[in-house]
Amino acid sequence: MNDEQMRLSKDVVSEGFGLIAAAGYINNEGGQAIADAATELIDGGCGTLLIDLEGTRIINSIGVSILLEIMEKLLEDKGQLAFCNLTPTISKTFEIMGLVQYATIFPDRDTARSELMGDASV
Amino acid sequence: MDVVLHLPVVPNVELVAAKAVETVGGALGMHQTGIEAASVAIVEACLNAMEHGGGQMVVRMSSENPEGKSCLVIEVEDQGEGFDPAEAPRNSASRVHGCTSKRGWGLTLIRELMDEVQIRSNPGQTLVRMRKYVESAP
Repeated sequence: MNDEQMRLSKDVVSEGFGLIAAAGYINNEGGQAIADAATELIDGGCGTLLIDLEGTRIINSIGVSILLEIMEKLLEDKGQLAFCNLTPTISKTFEIMGLVQYATIFPDRDTARSELMGDASV
Repeated sequence: MDVVLHLPVVPNVELVAAKAVETVGGALGMHQTGIEAASVAIVEACLNAMEHGGGQMVVRMSSENPEGKSCLVIEVEDQGEGFDPAEAPRNSASRVHGCTSKRGWGLTLIRELMDEVQIRSNPGQTLVRMRKYVESAP
């Protein structure tokens, strides 16, 4: 089960734009780790967050519920949340649980960055 | 091919069941997307059994071939107080949006991700039986 251990990195890509890369099991602990990283970026002035889930294959509803809370926090601040590199099952789960109503889904990181930053060169 | 797992209530034990789905589903020739959907469904069923089941749970996997269509069959059984499946609400995004509690998605996800789901529940025994067809639409 070690390959399901959450591995996470966060970065401010440009002013107001934060990136979180998360790979592993999104359960209560994995979801909370992402939420903590997101809160830090939001509090640091990032109004746009991209969460890259490449390497995440398994999730549970408790972990995704925590992601819903991040989304609501961002929406309260008129921010923007996006995801990329979702498996079809994770994408469907997000659809069922309503994340796609408020977050944007991109196929990969490059597409997300160019769309969100409005700069095709990144 | 039959697999039976007696799982204790310990953190992340649901991943043992998900790994078994990966192995059995792969052996049946299921598409990766179908395996991942069944994996999320069994994780949710195990989490429900751990939360409401009151002790060890039993997970069974087998294959069936109804009407010539091969499928993976998963059963998750617990010994909890039981519930009325007809009364279990189907959760929705609009219901939880803005609410403090965002839990209660397990059965909704299981029903959406699997092809067939049957739930039998009585005091002392709840059995969730699910089918995912090998040729299931992604």
